[in-house]
Parts: sequence; C-alpha cells; structure tokens
Amino acid sequence: MEQTPAVPVVNAKPQKQRSRKLNRYMWGLLFLLPAIVTFTLFLWLPIFKGVLNSFYNVDFVKGNTFIGFDNYRTIFSDGVVLIAVKNTLYYMGLALVIGFWVPIFFALAISEMRRFQGFARVAAYLPYVVPFVVLYGVWRWLYDPIGPINAALGKIGIDQINFISDRSWSMISIVIMETWQSFGSAMLIYLAAVLSVPRDWYEAAEIDGAGIWQRIRHITLPAISGQIILLLMLQLISTSQGFQTHFAMLDGGPNNATLTYALHIVKYAFVRIDYGVASALGVLMFFVLSILAVIQYRINNKGGTNL
Amino acid sequence: MKANERGILSSYDLKKPSVRWGYILMYLIIAVMMCCMVYPILISMLNGFKLNKEVNSFPPTFWPNEWHFENYTKAWNYIDLPFYFKNTMFVFFGNMIITVLVLGLAAYALSKMLVPFKSAIYYYFLMTLFIPATTYMIPSFINLKDLGLMGSFAAVWLPAGANAFFLLLLKTFIDGIHVEIFESARIDGASEWRAFFQIAFPLSIPIFATLAIFVFATAWNDWFWPSFILSQDNKPLSVAIRDFVLNARRLDMNIKFAILTLVMIPPIILFLFFQKFILRGLYLGGVKG
Repeated sequence: MEQTPAVPVVNAKPQKQRSRKLNRYMWGLLFLLPAIVTFTLFLWLPIFKGVLNSFYNVDFVKGNTFIGFDNYRTIFSDGVVLIAVKNTLYYMGLALVIGFWVPIFFALAISEMRRFQGFARVAAYLPYVVPFVVLYGVWRWLYDPIGPINAALGKIGIDQINFISDRSWSMISIVIMETWQSFGSAMLIYLAAVLSVPRDWYEAAEIDGAGIWQRIRHITLPAISGQIILLLMLQLISTSQGFQTHFAMLDGGPNNATLTYALHIVKYAFVRIDYGVASALGVLMFFVLSILAVIQYRINNKGGTNL
Repeated sequence: MKANERGILSSYDLKKPSVRWGYILMYLIIAVMMCCMVYPILISMLNGFKLNKEVNSFPPTFWPNEWHFENYTKAWNYIDLPFYFKNTMFVFFGNMIITVLVLGLAAYALSKMLVPFKSAIYYYFLMTLFIPATTYMIPSFINLKDLGLMGSFAAVWLPAGANAFFLLLLKTFIDGIHVEIFESARIDGASEWRAFFQIAFPLSIPIFATLAIFVFATAWNDWFWPSFILSQDNKPLSVAIRDFVLNARRLDMNIKFAILTLVMIPPIILFLFFQKFILRGLYLGGVKG
C-alpha cells in the first residue's frame, strides 16, 4: 500500500528533497534486504535447484553430471510411482469421505448447544495440541490387535481387525487418526461462521414455516459455503502432500499400501539416495499441485474471506 | 427465552417431542465425540502408572489396578529430557527472533516506508505461497548442504525468515496502524529503526503473539524435517522421542506411555491457559490451515 508523507516538505530546495527521498529509499531497502536474502537463499534457490537437479545425477562426492531426461524416464518406467499416485488419490478421497463432513456436522451441533459449549470446543480442539510423535505412539497401541479399539469391537461381536497390518485397513486407520487429531481446528472455523449467521433469519424462516432441515439447508449451509470451499481446497492441498503420518506409523507399508507420492519422493531421496529422481518427482508434483493452488487463490480472492 | 437467544432451533421447536429426542441424541453424539477426543490422552497418562503386564493385558483396563508412580521417575531418567527440551526451546527462540527481525522489518517496510518497486518485491515474497513445500523439500535439503548449514541450528533458524504466510499476516496487521503515528515520529527526528522498534513493534504485539503460538507449535511438533537437518547434539525433543522412544525395541510399554505423557503435558497446559489467544490465532491461521 502506497503511503505518501502527510507533511510535504514545502520550503526545501528540490535537491535536498531528492537526497532525503534517496535516504528514505535506502532505509526501506535496508529493512527489506534480510527478507530478500532469506527468500532468495531458502525458497527461490531450492526451487530453481530442484528444476535444475531433475536433469542431473546428483552426487555429493563426485559432483553432478548432466543426464538430460533420464530421471524422468526412470520415473515413468517405475511402476511404484503409479501405485504411489493411486494411493495418494485414495488417501485424498478417503480424507474427504471420512473427514471432511465431520467438522461441519459438529460445528452445527455445537452451535446449538445451550450449555457446556465451551467444554465441547476445548475437547474437540485438544488433540490438535498434542505433538504428532506422541500421537503416533498412542495410536499404534490403540490400533493394536489387543488394543482398546479391538477390545470394544470384540464386545459388540466384531472380529479382530488388524488396523495397521491389514492392507485394506491401513490407509483408513491413518485417515481416522488424522481426522481425530485435526478436525477441531476446522470445526472452530466453521463454528465461528455458523454463530455469525443473524438469528433473525432463522426467526423469519420459522415464521414462514421452514422446518429445521430447510433452515439448515437454505440458511446455514449457504452462509458458511465460503468456509466450506476454502477448507475443501486447503484439505486437498494438504492431503495431496501428506506423507508424515504414513512414514511414521507404517513406513509406507504394508506392501506399499500407504506409500503416498510425497513419501515416495522422500524414499527416493533418503533410502535410495537418488536426489535427481527425487527432484524430478517434485517438479512433476509441482505442475499438478500448482493448478490446485491457483484455484484456491482465485476462490480466496473472490470470496474475500479473511485476509 | 429472548428471541435473540435462539439458534437454528427455537424454544418452540424444542417443545415438539421428535425435535426434543433429536436434540438429546445430538447432545449424546457430542458427548461421545468428547469422550473419543479425551480418551486417548487420558489412557496414555493412566497407562503410565500401570505395570507393564497390565498395559499389555487384554482387554485393556482403564484405571490402573495399582498406581506405580515410580514409572514417571524412570521415564524422566530414560532419556535426557531437559537436554532435548533445551534444544526445542533453542529452535523456538531462534525462529522467533528471526521472524521479528526479518519478517517484521520487511512487513513494516512494505507497509509504511517508501521503497522502489514495492509491489514487485511484495510479489517476489508472496509467489512462494503458491509453490507447495513438498515439491522442493529435497532440493531444500541439498541446498542447506551446499550452504554448509547442515546440522547446525542455523539450518532451522535462517529459513524461518522465509515465510510468506507470516509476512502476509504481519503486513496486513501493520497496514491497520495509522500512518500519522510514524509521520509524527519522523518529524520529531526518530530514525526508521526507532520507528520500528519503539512504535511498530509494540503496537504489533498481538500479531507477534499469534505468530509465537504458531512458531512454538512448529518447534514442539515438527519431527520430520529436523530429523534430517539437525545433528545428534541439536536434536529437538520431538525427534528424540521418535528415535529413542517410538522406535525403541526394548522399552516397556508403561515407561513409553509415561514418557509420551511427559511430552504432551506442557503443550496441553499452555493451551488450557492461553486458550483465548490460541483460538483467536487459529482464525487468522485458518486461511492457511
């Protein structure tokens, strides 16, 4: 935002004015310099190095050698990449099916609470402040074949489920755990939106004979649709890059069932020590994800929500 | 009940039996949700008091049969927690100082100072928001190696200054401070340096406090990135827990839970104390998720 000085220097000679302006310019640049340096060194430099490295065989000892599109050829002939892409899409889909509606549902429900609303909010948000490493330890035990979840399932007559080692369950287990951990923050954002809907609208709708579901469908949901779209995009962006839980809980297993694309990048880099291919995988990912990021930006600007 | 005290439901609705049962059901579902949220946290605390045999028994018990307080002493002595805690705090304070010095100054300059090519510089910063961090994660790692920072705290501290999202929050906040304050300070002969540290910074304490919460959460939680770029001696608590507790083969479950409890209690206590500020910060940060 341009700010012009409130008090113009009237009597000073033009030359003096120019030097003062130069002086002010200098201070401004000086203040920006550290940020320009850090952004260049730690963001733009790696980004360009990534594109560059994708054409090189990266070797810390012997130095890099140019190999053209070989890294990309490796990727397209690597069948595991396809599995990783499928797993990532599956993970994103599961996160929507299992996780996306939960915060909306609870925001609506908690907004209707006349008592103990504060408790419900704190409880929902509480897991969000527990460090990830602690959660991994606790949930490994919860999911254990002889853990409490299987004990509860046994009581209602369901056979033991190997949440972690069963291929068809492992991804679902991760999504359930992540939903449990993080829905609270999304819920609070929805809750703020739900509570800011003017009460008179409901009053008027009720007088006009609208039922409860109609009020939710035609008043509440449209009122929070901006937040719904925003959080949907954010969830897609973050789940498309998800790998930390998969890495810590299962290391991509069993049998690659939880190997996401981002985790495959990590494995190429730190297990196979092939930084060139890992960089190339990152570049490919960038092209796909930047589409998502642009959509999110446009929605963000159009809706004018928050910032 | 006054008219404005209604939500989606009015008190008239609640007189209908079907709605009332639904309302009770809703309370029940919320109660179940709250139990699900608190249970894993409580059970790890309680498991820390049990005998190892009891933790491994099936079906699991909730309350310990006997209380073994000495488990927590053992847990405290199992790894050098204060040492790793110190490292985590190092990461936190270093990141915070860099955030104030680099991003604070930049946000102030972009908001309140004369700078040539201002919007171009601003876009130079903001463009980085569109590039997902995972895509250049590996090149960042190589980059830190090339710069010779690998292993030292500087490898975490310096990149903390390259955070476009924090810059955006800071600039938006400083934009809201009236420019007249700075103009009069300049007329009174204050240098830009003083204008920042004695006016802009104190007035922006709320936003810096919000950022401090984010930075603290990152320092306390982040395990993946630090595990690759910090050396053994600079490991933060989260990495130490993963390496020595989660991946430990010969560690009794009860001691494991006791350690995990010790690590999760400080952030929970901080959260319960500073709830109001944290939740307010969340709405700001919600845009980024």
